[in-house]
Amino acid sequence: MTHEKKTPLIRLAKRDGMEAWKIWCIRVGSILAALLLGALVMALVGTNPVTAYGTILSGALGKKTAVRQTVKIAIPLLGCALAIAPCFKMRFWNIGAEGQITAGAIAASYFALFWAGRVPGPMLLVIMGLAGAIAGGIWALIPAFFKAKWNTNETLFTLMMNYIIIGVVRWLQGGPWEGRKGSQIIPQFDAAACLPRVLGVHCGWIIVLVLVVFMHVYMNHTKHGYEIAVIGDSVNTARYAGMNVGRIMMRTMFLSGAISGLVGFIVASGANNTLYDGVAGGVGFTSITVAWLSQLNAFAMVAISMLLAVLEKGAETLQTRMAVPTSISDIITGILLFCMLGCEFFINYRLIFRKKEGAK
Amino acid sequence: MKKRILAMLLALSMALALAACGGNNGGGNDKPADNSTNGDTQQPAPPADDSGSGTKSVKVGLICIGDENDQGYTYNFIRGKEAATEALKANGIDVEWVVKWNIGEDSGCEDANIELAEEGCDLIINNSFGFEPFMLKVAPDYPEIEFIACTNQASWGDGLENTHNAFANIYEGRYLAGVVAGMKLQQMIDDGEITAGQAVIGYVGAFSFAEVISGFTAYYLGARSECPSATMKVQFVGSWSDATEEANAASALADMGCVMISQHSDNTTPATTAQSKGVFHTGYNNDMISVASEASLIGTRIDWAPYFEYAISSVANGGSFDQDWCHGMDMGAVVMTPLNEDIAAPGTAERLAEVEDQIKSGELQVFDTSTFTVDGAELTTAFALDTDGDFTPDSEEAVFDGAFHESYFQSAPYFAISIDGIEWLNQAFG
Repeated sequence: MTHEKKTPLIRLAKRDGMEAWKIWCIRVGSILAALLLGALVMALVGTNPVTAYGTILSGALGKKTAVRQTVKIAIPLLGCALAIAPCFKMRFWNIGAEGQITAGAIAASYFALFWAGRVPGPMLLVIMGLAGAIAGGIWALIPAFFKAKWNTNETLFTLMMNYIIIGVVRWLQGGPWEGRKGSQIIPQFDAAACLPRVLGVHCGWIIVLVLVVFMHVYMNHTKHGYEIAVIGDSVNTARYAGMNVGRIMMRTMFLSGAISGLVGFIVASGANNTLYDGVAGGVGFTSITVAWLSQLNAFAMVAISMLLAVLEKGAETLQTRMAVPTSISDIITGILLFCMLGCEFFINYRLIFRKKEGAK
Repeated sequence: MKKRILAMLLALSMALALAACGGNNGGGNDKPADNSTNGDTQQPAPPADDSGSGTKSVKVGLICIGDENDQGYTYNFIRGKEAATEALKANGIDVEWVVKWNIGEDSGCEDANIELAEEGCDLIINNSFGFEPFMLKVAPDYPEIEFIACTNQASWGDGLENTHNAFANIYEGRYLAGVVAGMKLQQMIDDGEITAGQAVIGYVGAFSFAEVISGFTAYYLGARSECPSATMKVQFVGSWSDATEEANAASALADMGCVMISQHSDNTTPATTAQSKGVFHTGYNNDMISVASEASLIGTRIDWAPYFEYAISSVANGGSFDQDWCHGMDMGAVVMTPLNEDIAAPGTAERLAEVEDQIKSGELQVFDTSTFTVDGAELTTAFALDTDGDFTPDSEEAVFDGAFHESYFQSAPYFAISIDGIEWLNQAFG
């Protein structure tokens, strides 16, 4: 028995300063590896991978109408990724975007259902958007307040808030806002409460593209953005520099929730024209992936959200044309995300294998 | 390192290959043979009209709320789909089906309709009640494609030419199931097992609206035609499909003295509960004898095949078809599941055939106003439709020629009157 400390077989070491071309090689390589793994899965279920990938691409981008559907999927993903970016930059783990979207959608739907016809159309949309943003902001402010005051765990808090607000929608669906008795369906909005279409897609895409620019400027060229970055690096540094960390947290969360709420308005008014419990549809979680993959870069989010939307729309077409179960497509998407996120690990860390005995 | 390069090369070549694939599909959506996986033409008009010998082909989309594993609602559509395909094939019409499974009653349904329309379907069938509003958002963009919303009621009168509703006169099947139940009750009375006053039926209903009310009223009238002393209690569970609640309701009804259970809900638990309580049962949607051989007498279900055949062959021949279709036993759209001869009263099969013929010929009206009363008086007036839900009638008088005319003005049921002899234990609007 020796008391000598054994070197583990594999050790990790942080590495930095990797050349940009190498980083991109790893990233492209990881995507290709994912495609190969995905091809393996498809081959296992008896589908020709080349045809399948072709179907995904043509299904998502092959026709004008297909592109419109794809963009429709990308809009909330992009908007929500933009919303959570400042929180994550601050290392405030807001996983409650799902609920904030829903809160915004509820508020917007209230005005869509009960104010349509009372105010002029464009005005109604502005009111709905504002209501959505405020409701989403407040829903996000609650956990931020508790975090700032009593340092509660924001991950759990924001997650639990999701279930509450989704429950509220279920109640509205079966109760006060139900259309025909027993249908469990809230009626379709009046045409005045629906976002107009531009180039065949509801104009939510313009709103989120404006938000991209806004978020880029906000994060990189404003005092607020700087404060967020400092808190993200070190809360103590921020305190030492005289920042009111609690206030900044609440302010940032309100902004984040407000953008999510605005996304909720866009989805309810633009895409669904009604409200139901699945209004967020997992966007609040998927957008976390979008934000991370883009490394919180607003412009990269445009590309990543489109990539995910292409996969999702393509998967639908894959099921339609080749009867491949949608769960297979989900597996392939999962593999792709896993590889893409995983490769960042190898960019940031280096594996060191134990040297042969006696080589000390 | 070598391996990695090899893998990259492989993947690159694959990426190029699929890029080429995508390019092909992109432009040529009006070329007939653009895609190997998608053999059908994308033109809505029937493609092969050259001479009588050539078979016609139709591409039909079917959007389902569940999948065939439910052994109930969606399974019943799949049975209809398969039977219709066979029958149409014999008539020289090839049907290519594209089925979307497990679609929610939300904007996912809208996307599914767009997807199927873009894939070149000539006809798109939405199988669930709640799909209709989403289908109606897509239909105006594709005037050359026919859309069907089964069991709902807003498509036939919406001003669009290409939207349709369809249902079946399921109350006819309910009436017949009631006849079977009534004969059993009368047999029990005659054998001295129960007194005339104890002939109580328990009914497990989903929600307190017309489709369900119409069903249990027809059932009750069928039962009373054979057993004049029969009464009925109805318990609503507030869900179309909640196995536990349905069992609880059936159990409570049996405890209240009901000796016959029937249901308008999706699961087989009322049947199994009836069996464990030692009472009898008649079912819906599916043959329930296999799960409750000592209790289940018979069941009734909609057979979608006749409608599918009708709609698809109309599309194949380039003709229009009814925007609101509703037939019953006359066209085989409502069928009875096998009779459990071991436990049914003697002579049931003969009586059943007799009554079925009377219904088919129109000799017997299920909602004959001389057979029931409302608050002690005969029903002389009732409005049929309230399509917009504003509680004012939107159509003519439904009571004429001595009967309430169910599914006459529209396919979706609208008989929503509480008649004497049926006791509502609760109400459930969801």
